[in-house]
Amino acid sequence: MPRQAAVESDAAGQPLSVDGEDVDAVRESWLVEDRWWTDQPLRRRYWEVVTTGGRNVVVYRDLVEQGWHRHA
Amino acid sequence: MCSMSYIELHCHSAYSFLDGASQPEELVAAALSRGHSALALTDHDSLSGSMEFAQAAKALGLRAIHGAEVTLDDGRHITLLVSDETGWRNLCRLLTVAHAHTRDGPQRDRSDPAVALEDVERHGEGLVCLSGCAARGVRDEPTMRRLIAIFGRERLRVELQRPLARHDRALNRGLVALAGRLGIATVATGNVHAHKAERALLQDALVAIANHTTLDACEPLRRGNHAHVLSTPRAMAARFADHPEAVAETQRLAERLTFDLTSDLGYRYPGAEDAGADRALAEVCQARFDERYPPGSKHRAHAAARLEEELRVIDGLGLAGFFLLHREILELAREVAVQVRGRGGARSLLPPGRGRGSSVSSIVCHLTGLSHVDPIANKLLLGRFLNEELTALPDIDLDFPRDIREVLIPRIHEVYGRERSALVAAFPTYRARGAIRELGKALGLPPGEIERVARGSEGWSARDVHRDIDSALGEGRRTGRWAWLARLAAEAQGLPRHLSQHSGGMIVATRPLVDCVPLVPAAMEGRQLAQWDKDSCSDAGFLKIDLLGLGMLSAVERCVEHVAVRRGECIDLSRIAFDDRATYECIQNADTTGVFQIESRAQMGSLRRTRPETLDDLTVQVAIVRPGPIVGGAVNPYIERRQRLRADPGYEVPYMHSSLQAPLRDTLGTIIFQDQVLEVAQAFAGFSVGEAEGLRRAMSRKRSAEAIEAHHRRFVQGATSLHPDVTEELAEQVFQMVSGFSGFGFPKAHGAAFGLLAYQSTWLRVHYGPEFLCSLLDEQPMGFYPPDALVHEAQRRGIEILAPDVNASAAGCEVTAGGAVRIGLGYVLGVRADEIAALVGAREAGGPFASLEDLGSRAGAGRPALERLAWAGACDALTGGDRRVALWQLGVAASAVNVRGREGTQLALALDLPAAPTLKALPAWEAMIADYATTGLTATTHPIGLLRSRLDGEGAVGIDALSRLAHGAQVRVGGLVVARQRPGTAKGVLFLLLEDEHGTVNVVVSPQVYERHRLAVRTEPLLLVEGRLERHASAGGAINVLARRVVRLQVPDRIAADVKDISPLDEAELARQAEIASAATGTDDFRAVAPAVQSFAAGRRR
Repeated sequence: MPRQAAVESDAAGQPLSVDGEDVDAVRESWLVEDRWWTDQPLRRRYWEVVTTGGRNVVVYRDLVEQGWHRHA
Repeated sequence: MCSMSYIELHCHSAYSFLDGASQPEELVAAALSRGHSALALTDHDSLSGSMEFAQAAKALGLRAIHGAEVTLDDGRHITLLVSDETGWRNLCRLLTVAHAHTRDGPQRDRSDPAVALEDVERHGEGLVCLSGCAARGVRDEPTMRRLIAIFGRERLRVELQRPLARHDRALNRGLVALAGRLGIATVATGNVHAHKAERALLQDALVAIANHTTLDACEPLRRGNHAHVLSTPRAMAARFADHPEAVAETQRLAERLTFDLTSDLGYRYPGAEDAGADRALAEVCQARFDERYPPGSKHRAHAAARLEEELRVIDGLGLAGFFLLHREILELAREVAVQVRGRGGARSLLPPGRGRGSSVSSIVCHLTGLSHVDPIANKLLLGRFLNEELTALPDIDLDFPRDIREVLIPRIHEVYGRERSALVAAFPTYRARGAIRELGKALGLPPGEIERVARGSEGWSARDVHRDIDSALGEGRRTGRWAWLARLAAEAQGLPRHLSQHSGGMIVATRPLVDCVPLVPAAMEGRQLAQWDKDSCSDAGFLKIDLLGLGMLSAVERCVEHVAVRRGECIDLSRIAFDDRATYECIQNADTTGVFQIESRAQMGSLRRTRPETLDDLTVQVAIVRPGPIVGGAVNPYIERRQRLRADPGYEVPYMHSSLQAPLRDTLGTIIFQDQVLEVAQAFAGFSVGEAEGLRRAMSRKRSAEAIEAHHRRFVQGATSLHPDVTEELAEQVFQMVSGFSGFGFPKAHGAAFGLLAYQSTWLRVHYGPEFLCSLLDEQPMGFYPPDALVHEAQRRGIEILAPDVNASAAGCEVTAGGAVRIGLGYVLGVRADEIAALVGAREAGGPFASLEDLGSRAGAGRPALERLAWAGACDALTGGDRRVALWQLGVAASAVNVRGREGTQLALALDLPAAPTLKALPAWEAMIADYATTGLTATTHPIGLLRSRLDGEGAVGIDALSRLAHGAQVRVGGLVVARQRPGTAKGVLFLLLEDEHGTVNVVVSPQVYERHRLAVRTEPLLLVEGRLERHASAGGAINVLARRVVRLQVPDRIAADVKDISPLDEAELARQAEIASAATGTDDFRAVAPAVQSFAAGRRR
């Protein structure tokens, strides 16, 4: 289950740090826009990043609610 | 990074059907507003949108690049871009190959186009190849090496896309590595599918529609986000920040793609460059001249002068070959007619086809056989059709009986070559009903409610679907998925949905057409289509020959045959009496149901007032119920002046100016015909023929405010300087009369051609009523009335109608020796033509069927067919007139009777069926329902007749009683809806034509009443109307009911005759019908079987 994350990002929305760990590299970035016809529309910008600690982390910004989340 | 360095080279329009979501011109406008200097259109396996794109781009100042995303036979895609003329030719040929086998299935259902790499190899020159989209592009080295062999490294690029999907960066890294290994460049593309964000939502829904599923169920098939919306060059460059070379390559590549589709494609029609054509045409005309205008005849001198003038204009315009080509096709039609009609039959006297439209005004057309109307005797002026200032090819439209046209079209393909001839395409577009049904299903809305909204819809603009939803379901559906339906439908309005066939336009060429436009097989065998519609063909300079199928021509020919067979009379319709009193009496009394053009509700209303007395009057009559004369305010003045002239032959018709007398004399000072716009502009404002035609074109369908205004100023200026007595005010008034006409009208020549057929068909109806009815019934669908209404009207005129009978009916309708009309077995729905042929053949070979057992063993038809025949009452004579006995016995017999196997009909043993138990006779209401369900009509008791006692109880009167009531009386009338119309010219007023067992009456529904009772008015077949009776002497005594209240006519409780339950016919179809039937108003059995009637402008609908 995704959980809330503390993410700092640049003007383009690219993460600079995730939960206090700096981002070393962006591996992938993708966009999900779906279920717009339902009561629970989905708009998320995903980032798969490698932190300076060497971890592969997937975070997303919820573009409807504007919060950051990370997958465990 | 330079923000302008990105050029979009991969973009889909709505001509990537059910995939792209924007029109080409929308993409052009959006591209310009977002800073693009060029754009490539690359629809899936199609160039259908290319000409529209090229024209829009040229007009707005964007550089258009052409191409297509082509499907390979393994399902992968490559993007091909045109660099030069050779490339365009090759792309057209390649796409023709791609579609060549898309109709090879047994039902000719469309399959997906595809090409082999060998095909690409044959047609690769002049094209640049990109390796294809992120989802289905080519990315393996062996195939890429084959593409290098075809295109070389100079004309092949690895295509990088960034659809913002997971793993696309990894994919691009792999593609860059592949490009490096192969030594070819990469290029970035956006795979655009929409010009704005709202259309991206629609694109999601289109994916669901294309896959016959819902949005909820097709997530893996959708694009996942809306990154496929046309973006700015700067944003695209930023999206490809990792690949600046690929972005820069877009610009470099675009500079090489210089092909301009608006340039001359090299099309020429056969004969266009024939130096001897002028002389040949003159010889053809002279050869017929003496026959048409013999020495000493009244019009000879005038005709000779006119012929000389026409030939001079044709010579000057270089159009002799154009006329000879049309004549050549007519001669081909003559050969086809002999083949179709036979040599000695009654139809052999008739010409193979006849002209319509403005070409009928040409004496050259008359002498070359392209028109059957004498332009001199009918005082038809030429200017609209042909003048020295013509800038486009004139139109010659030819009408043919349907059977001749069906054979003629493939014959033209044979004669001119399949590469050199094709039909013109048409693109059905989304309008309200289609959008509601398809998008509603995609959104997963309840089918019953979707159908209710669709049926209640106005049917035109999908932009008003929110109103349709409110009206059908109440105002509680303005949120959630219903709100999305309204929004999506508004976006879908006008988008092309699929490729179809134009009603008759055909292109022939001297060079292979496949070098100009891709050709694809049509749904009908032996025909092929160009991928362009008539506008694109016209923009390309193609000559379109209209070969139209005219149902009434088929009907009159069939009638002539019936008359010859039954009465031994041979009728030449060109030599009948054109002043027949009985015929004109019928016309003047609006007793014209079923005849050509003057049968509609509106025409009948007009006939009682105009009371035509000659063919000239009919020429006006067929033209009068058109938007041009109506909006132009010509109709009432014309009719009133005609009525005054009838009352007082000394009445002086008022003209706005003396110069208008000549052009408007025949139409009593009003503008009824298109040509009169030209004549008025010339006589009143001093326009040249070409200027006047320019004014007419400006006022035609694609009206341009600026162009009209330019003509307006010139018109007023011209009139005031030409005539000293014309004030600016008067000039303005005349211009208003001209501009009010707006071009939505017939040219006089067309009126003459159609007026003649209106007379001929009325003459046949008057003198050969049963034969004429037979012909109409067998040429359906055609005309204004459904077969049911034609039958009822004929019954009221005393023609006996006999139901289908397995021992008496042929496949088609027939006139009996006693003059009754016997409905053919072909009218029984659900019985195949081959089953009917086998049944009739068995009867002719072995004599009438003696019993149901005998029928069962000899008929050669399966059980479902026999059941349908029994339900239709066609077996009544075998069972003492009781359908239930027939059905019971068939239930027993059919389990043991013949089965059609591979070896043909298997003979069966004679059966000895047990007697049926005592069965209750089928009640009249149920028998009537069964009639409608099985044949679409009832020849026994009218449904309103069956409800008469109930209507009497409610104080309703029969339609025959209305003539005895006074103007202003409050009335209540029940009836079956025969037509619903809401003309755009009637300011929201809706007209219903109601029929009961005695006749028909026109019901006028005001906008207020319509809004109160909209669902009943729009969807119910049986109505009870309360309102005020109106009868005005000026309307020729015609009766209208001005409705105050319109409600569904309640049918008393009864046991429904469910003809569907026992039939094992296609269960899915029956389930669909049941769903539709129950969707609108519950379970009313009549509404499910009611005959399809004229419903607004959408043709016949149930």
